[in-house]
Amino acid sequence: MELQHPSQNTAIPMAQPLPTHVAASLWRADELRSPPTAVHPSGWAALDAELPGGGWPGMAVTELLISQPGTLEWRLLAPALRPIVAAGGEVAVVAPARPPSMEGLVQDGIEPDRFWRYRAEEPARRLWVTEQLLRGNACEVLIAWLPQVRQEQLRRLQVCASGFEGLCFLVRPAHALKDSSPAPLRVSATLASDWDLRVRVAKRRGTVHEQDLLLPAYAGGISRVLTPELMHPSRLDDRPIPIEAHDAVGSTQSSARQQNPAAH
Amino acid sequence: MLWAALKAPRDNKTPLPTDAQRRLSDWALQFTPRVAHLEEAVVMELEASTRLFGGRRALRDRVFAESQELGSDGLAWATNSMAALCLVRAGIENGFKRPLPELLDALSLDVLTATQAHATTLSHVGCKFLGDLRRLPRGGVTHRFGKPLLIALDQAYGSVPLTHEWLLPADDFRARLELMARVELAPALLAGAHRLLLQLCGWLASRHAGVTAVTLGWAHDTMRAKHVEATGSLTVRTALPTRDIEHLARLLAEHLAHVELEAPAGEVMLTATEVVKLEERSASFLPDVVNRREARALVRERIAARIGPENLLRPVLLEDYRTEWTQHWLPLNQQPPKLKAKPPPFPAPTCVLDQPQQLMVRNRRPYFQGPLKLLLGPHLTEGGWWHRVGEGAEQEHKHVRRDYYLAMSPHAGFLWVFKEGGEQWFLHGSFS
Repeated sequence: MELQHPSQNTAIPMAQPLPTHVAASLWRADELRSPPTAVHPSGWAALDAELPGGGWPGMAVTELLISQPGTLEWRLLAPALRPIVAAGGEVAVVAPARPPSMEGLVQDGIEPDRFWRYRAEEPARRLWVTEQLLRGNACEVLIAWLPQVRQEQLRRLQVCASGFEGLCFLVRPAHALKDSSPAPLRVSATLASDWDLRVRVAKRRGTVHEQDLLLPAYAGGISRVLTPELMHPSRLDDRPIPIEAHDAVGSTQSSARQQNPAAH
Repeated sequence: MLWAALKAPRDNKTPLPTDAQRRLSDWALQFTPRVAHLEEAVVMELEASTRLFGGRRALRDRVFAESQELGSDGLAWATNSMAALCLVRAGIENGFKRPLPELLDALSLDVLTATQAHATTLSHVGCKFLGDLRRLPRGGVTHRFGKPLLIALDQAYGSVPLTHEWLLPADDFRARLELMARVELAPALLAGAHRLLLQLCGWLASRHAGVTAVTLGWAHDTMRAKHVEATGSLTVRTALPTRDIEHLARLLAEHLAHVELEAPAGEVMLTATEVVKLEERSASFLPDVVNRREARALVRERIAARIGPENLLRPVLLEDYRTEWTQHWLPLNQQPPKLKAKPPPFPAPTCVLDQPQQLMVRNRRPYFQGPLKLLLGPHLTEGGWWHRVGEGAEQEHKHVRRDYYLAMSPHAGFLWVFKEGGEQWFLHGSFS
């Protein structure tokens, strides 16, 4: 039999590209690529377009860099969590900066019976709990607030996360951005004007992300009651602070009381 | 037939069976119901169990490692129990390396107990090895040394069967162990406890049971302070019955880390406090959802053991208009109510502070990281006149009457603030 030249094995340019889900599971022997991991859509098309694979990655830690922890986490993450919880997934939070309230979260689709909160004050204990949850594959979404964490500890978590099938978010202060980190994906988020979040992918596999994204994010079902003008509160004039009739009476009484000692 | 003999350490004075032998046989019953005491050793027949435990090699490795930990002196394998006993006394492990008669012929006479009574005579006639004895004329041997010697010899070579009285697992489990050295720190008790756990897990497996509670006790020695009790104990509970030694050891380790010994301890005891039947799960190639849920419960249990069950919380929603009473955090060890509350029909903050935080007011305007802009409200919340807390003079009402507003702070996002009692403003939560 006549031997053929090896060039016959090179990829033949296809007339039409494969559908994305087929392409994702297809590996060509001539290309170097990391193995495809489970990806969960973030809930915003604009953000998905910037995230490698089109969503928050599983089997890896994702850093969220937030200047004031507790101000925007649920607004940013709730859209991604809703389908996961609806499919029976569990959410675990480790040492949240502000106590989460199911009253509002349930309106974002996060069910109370699939929610676990781990309270831990010391940094070492927070790390330990996070690591145990990662190792035990004990939830589908893990959000840990780690204000103080060293680089080798992060590396350890990243290694643990490689066997973790769910999403793992580590919330860290924004000044950590200047330090390097083993996390493959780092996203910084700040409050922008009105209901927008300013989101930037600070580190990802691939090209550098330059343009900030503005994502309109609502929480706790508030979007249902917002009028068009309340969607842009910064354009509103300041409403006067309401005064009730009995308040005014109370204040005159107290001023009268203050004058009394002076009279004596 | 695959027989294993495990030699238990013994000085000649202790009566048989010794504690060490009982410890080994308790543990050995998990492999096979055919376990017996034979002189100072424990013998078991394992032919039928090899497949269940992953083949001869894996079984041998497991038996070897665990019996070493339980304090066994040696292990030998042969086709019958008497031969295994002779081999373990001679320090030869594998009785399948060469034909059994060949192996036994080379052993010295003292490995067979029946020869001890006639040791002098036998050495005078030039018998040093079992092979020498076997080559003597059988009639003469019976005539000179009696029948028992010949029977014992035949049993070792496998030509005459040996009957055993099989051991049965005890009804309850209580084991004690004297520690090698006095222990002053509680976590150091774990090394001794692990040995007892090994025994416990063997006993549980032989009874097809699992534990939901075990009690580890320790005895302080006589050189202790007067106020110190003679013994101490620690009970560890698990949510699901288990006989997984890893899990039990980890749980014990976490709990022992919180224990402070009042005096050095010299002895540990382990009792199976609550024993329940454990259903065996058949192994599967596919990832098992049910197993996974159980594994999760184990992880949570382990975490709760270290951080305390009061720090592992799950939320419960109640139907109450007052924000601070809408949600409760239940610790892991409390069952949530069956009844599910309906989610509130109006928007609610995603974070709620444990205690409302009073806000600075300047020029009648509340401040939180800058002046607040009120967007929505007032949302009047009034209720709780029925709610009283405390007793007698300390009794107080939990009645609230508040006007809630959605406010925007220039730096802290969207807040849930309320006004109470005229001009006082409080931060209660945030939409974040």
